[in-house]
Amino acid sequence: MGSLFRSETMCLAQLFLQSGTAYECLSALGEKGLVQFRDLNQNVSSFQRKFVGEVKRCEELERILAYLVQEINRADIPLPEGETSPPAPPLKQVLEMQEQLQKLEAELREVTKNKERLRKNLLELTEYTHVLRVSKAFVRRDMQFEPTYEEFPSLENDSLLDYSCMQRLGAKLGFVSGLINQGKAEAFGKTLWRACRGHSIVTHAELEGPLEDPETGEVIKWYVFLISFWGEQIGHKVKKICDCYHCHVYPYPNTAEERREIQEGLNTRIQDLYTVLHKTEDYLRQVLCKAAESVYSRVIQVKKMKAIYHMLNMCSFDVTNKCLIAEVWCPEADLHELRLALEEGSSGASIPSFMNTIPTKETPPTLIRTNKFTEGFQNIVDAYGVGSYREVNPALFTIITFPFLFAVMFGDLGHGFVMFLFALLLVLNEDHPRLSQSQEIVRMFFNGRYILLLMGLFSVYTGLIYNDCFSKSLNLFGSGWNVSAMYSSGHSPAEQRKMMLWNDSVIRHNRVLQLDPSVPGVFRGPYPLGIDPIWNLATNRLTFLNSFKMKMSVILGIIHMTFGVILGIFNHLHFRKKFNIYLVSIPELLFMLCIFGYLVFMIFYKWLVYSAETSRVAPSILIEFINMFLFPASDTGGLYPGQEHVQRLLLVITALSVPVLFLGKPLFLLWLHRGRSCFGVSRSGYTLVRKDSEEEVSLLGSQDIEEGNNQMEDGCREVTCEEFNFGEILMTQVIHSIEYCLGCISNTASYLRLWALSLAHAQLSDVLWAMLMRVGLRVDTTYGVLLLLPVIALFAVLTIFILLIMEGLSAFLHAIRLHCTRASHYCGLSRCGAQAPDAQAQRPWLTGPAAPRHVGSSRTGTRTRVPCIGRWTLNHCA
Amino acid sequence: MLEGAELYFNADHGYLEGLVRGCKAGLLTQRDYINLVQCETLEDLKIHLQTTDYGNFLANQTNPLTVSIIDTEMRKKLCREFEYFRNHSLEPLSTFFTYMTCSYMIDNVILLMNGALQKKSVKEILVKCHPLGRFTEMEAVNIAETPSDLFNAILVETPLAPFFQDCMSENTLDELNIEILRNKLYKSYIEAFYKFCKNHGDVTAEIMCPILEFEADRRAFIITLNSFGTELSKEDRETLYPTCGKLYPEGLRLLAQAEDFEQMKRVADHGVYKALFEAVGDGSGGKTLEDVFYEREVQMNVLAFNRQFHYGVFYAYTKLKEQEIRNVVWIAECISQRHRTKINSYIPIL
Repeated sequence: MGSLFRSETMCLAQLFLQSGTAYECLSALGEKGLVQFRDLNQNVSSFQRKFVGEVKRCEELERILAYLVQEINRADIPLPEGETSPPAPPLKQVLEMQEQLQKLEAELREVTKNKERLRKNLLELTEYTHVLRVSKAFVRRDMQFEPTYEEFPSLENDSLLDYSCMQRLGAKLGFVSGLINQGKAEAFGKTLWRACRGHSIVTHAELEGPLEDPETGEVIKWYVFLISFWGEQIGHKVKKICDCYHCHVYPYPNTAEERREIQEGLNTRIQDLYTVLHKTEDYLRQVLCKAAESVYSRVIQVKKMKAIYHMLNMCSFDVTNKCLIAEVWCPEADLHELRLALEEGSSGASIPSFMNTIPTKETPPTLIRTNKFTEGFQNIVDAYGVGSYREVNPALFTIITFPFLFAVMFGDLGHGFVMFLFALLLVLNEDHPRLSQSQEIVRMFFNGRYILLLMGLFSVYTGLIYNDCFSKSLNLFGSGWNVSAMYSSGHSPAEQRKMMLWNDSVIRHNRVLQLDPSVPGVFRGPYPLGIDPIWNLATNRLTFLNSFKMKMSVILGIIHMTFGVILGIFNHLHFRKKFNIYLVSIPELLFMLCIFGYLVFMIFYKWLVYSAETSRVAPSILIEFINMFLFPASDTGGLYPGQEHVQRLLLVITALSVPVLFLGKPLFLLWLHRGRSCFGVSRSGYTLVRKDSEEEVSLLGSQDIEEGNNQMEDGCREVTCEEFNFGEILMTQVIHSIEYCLGCISNTASYLRLWALSLAHAQLSDVLWAMLMRVGLRVDTTYGVLLLLPVIALFAVLTIFILLIMEGLSAFLHAIRLHCTRASHYCGLSRCGAQAPDAQAQRPWLTGPAAPRHVGSSRTGTRTRVPCIGRWTLNHCA
Repeated sequence: MLEGAELYFNADHGYLEGLVRGCKAGLLTQRDYINLVQCETLEDLKIHLQTTDYGNFLANQTNPLTVSIIDTEMRKKLCREFEYFRNHSLEPLSTFFTYMTCSYMIDNVILLMNGALQKKSVKEILVKCHPLGRFTEMEAVNIAETPSDLFNAILVETPLAPFFQDCMSENTLDELNIEILRNKLYKSYIEAFYKFCKNHGDVTAEIMCPILEFEADRRAFIITLNSFGTELSKEDRETLYPTCGKLYPEGLRLLAQAEDFEQMKRVADHGVYKALFEAVGDGSGGKTLEDVFYEREVQMNVLAFNRQFHYGVFYAYTKLKEQEIRNVVWIAECISQRHRTKINSYIPIL
């Protein structure tokens, strides 16, 4: 509880790391995840730092490992993933590891290169066989059709063309055959035609199966082409154009025997290549399998090593260069462990590394320890801002208020119970590995499982209060209303005359009948828990529930907001700024309570004082509340005697608290700044006091220097003794006050969403019931079963998707929005408490419900949710 | 083009404009340059570039770093971004992108032809080609012997084809003719681009026209400067000037008559270019004319980002990124050649 209420106390520690063992020390610290390092070399650019060489080496190793992983994946070898995370490698092993990896890489590259060459060879040979096979058909076709081509006038005379004839013409007629990429074939043909002015003929046919492109490795379709051309000159051009289109050109055999010979030769060579390639691949696979065993742990080790060097880059050297100085933020509770880790790290060295704490005026980072239960709630709070150091952490209260506000909107016993069961399932199986490694949406539910659990439980509770279970009421204790008592027959004649009782004609002629609680026996006292089930039958149920829920949401909202302001008081007490309580918190409280607190009072008063008999004379709270501000001339009676005076008094208090809120704090700070003297006192006293304080400041500064902080450090610290700027403080306070006063009104209105959403939820489930289940239940018994089954299935599906998931998400978002409202009250105070210098800038007033507050970068700067040199995050390695 | 591009610009091009503005925010800042200048080795440079938007673009290099590796990788990155823009663009933005690539295509064609003239292998020269100006027919350029050959056989289907109408001649391609061909192509290109932007109207015209006018005038100046002491006649020279600049027509006529740098300077005396010529230092110390022009270009390109709903941002971004690459290459070159005195004369991008 203590750790969740406020963030951990932190201290700034200086670590003196012997340069020999600095690496081991940091490794030990990293395994524990105890500290956050501060960058002491901020003005040194990244390539001028001390350990750049080592970082580069790590990058080189990473590159090799990435190459290995890529090759392993390509070979479809499963990568074994170790459960444990190995520690960073000791320095001695690093060299060895590097050598091993480099050797492995060289070997692998060699083998892959060989393999690629073999594959390419094989591919070429296969391509050649394809070309031969397909082009054989061309020539035969050519023989039949060639006479018709005008470009071959000499051949026209000789219509009986055969191979010998081609051979005779061979001197003049040239052939180029090859393969071309399908997409380029058309452009290729056109260019050839244009460039050779028609002195060539291209015949092409598509290759049946796709082949791999040797350059890109893509599998694409190819065309086999055969160009026949005349003359030497054109031959050169054709070859150049082939080159330009990246054709694979293969020699064209002139005779049938030659073709057969080549084909046979090719076939044997392909066979040989296959066996060689097979062996190479086997060997490659062996090498990769061996590499795959250790690659996972190596990747993690190198990552850790790199992280360590990054942290070492943040350290500064002392004058003797023997020792590294690191400045870290560490929770005070962990200092002992920090010492232990340092000893462990430097156990091998003659001089141990040590640490000492240094006093600082800087605001330490916020560390809030969470466990699996509180983590989800903390995340919700972090979504709209991380508190400053030692501020009250609203997450503690969110654990209850968040599910509660959600449940107010989601109040339904049945739905809540389903949600609870779902969350319970997640919680009971939380160790299941499939859940923690699941996809985004499931993971989201998984991370919020405890929130869901509580939301479900609270919904069950509010469902009981609303007496809603899948939009039906439960009659657990028996209704407090008795309808039969309304009949005239049960009463004495005297009573019959006095009251409006029912008889047969009344029942027959009226569609709507009203129960009268003032009739004895009709109302037998309130229902023990929640809303009386009889309302489920009443036609004016909605009117009744609206009035009830609206008032309830105003009451809840005002309690919630007041609670936020009170939390602020805790902050002021903690930071020893009592004046903030008197000048800010109390005026704020007065402002809110005098207006809205009074409204709540009126609601309760009306509930308690007016009974069934007097309900007809009860005044409207709304009118009374408006009259409080308007001072009407005519007296309306009011709730209680003397109401007017009380209301006037409250208004005066409210009006008075506003100027205090606006001016109180700035004026007080001004007075403090002027040396606590009164405004009218002579100047001499004032100067005297100033001198004193200046001396003090300079003394403090020299102490700082003696403590051996470097100059940059001083630069940082000077920021804390900031200049007193009255105008700025006044502006901040005025803005804050305006925001608060307007916020009170708008937030009260915005809490009405509790009512609106719960109404919407109830109506929606009512509609679903009426449209589906009632239809299913109305059918007579024989066939009803058959119909009821699909109807129930549909009902269940719609209930889950619309009412549980959709409505649930909407209620969830609204609950988040309401917590932002509260937080704005509360964080607003924290700004004054803990000098977060620019908290102002990142507190936009929220206008939409679904706009979670962004965490500004400056504020995240001081935020340490994960307090260490990167608690090793394994999911990044995977 | 209809008026009021603001109303529907975002429907077609809003995504890309947002993207390019984001990319522009990733340009190296003045701080980055200050850090880069301090680097001792190329490795340092790499480490610093890793902290910028370039990320680990050099991480997969196993060989020792050289300036040309840095250059190609940076260009590749620019090219990737450009291709992304281009693939996601709709008309008329995609035509605009095509126009943008044309200038690189012209350069590549000329480079290849020069290479062919010096009997270098195509592979060797392909590496030097700008990746933005690549096209499939490119490698066949060296089979052409005359400009009309080049046009008929190879370039007729590329976007460059329309620019060829002025330069169809049967001259053999020697070094001077290639240079003239380049300038003629460029002249037609820039005039066509100018016309396209003008016709497009709206903010695009307002932004792009001044940039292209400046580009045209810069070419005119550079052509003049380079033609001093060559066999190029004054009449020929005048035909090479792009006519869409601010100098047209009177300034160009004067420029054609100019015989040395002083006369050229006098031409610029009256117009907007006076300040630029005044900024040029003499001999050793000051900036060169080229640098001054680059600075002015950067300035105009940066200003293009002040308006919304126009295509100029894409042009400006590409040019700025190119300038950044030139800067980094310059710094890297200075570092690798240990020539630190000149390291600061990169063109700052404001």
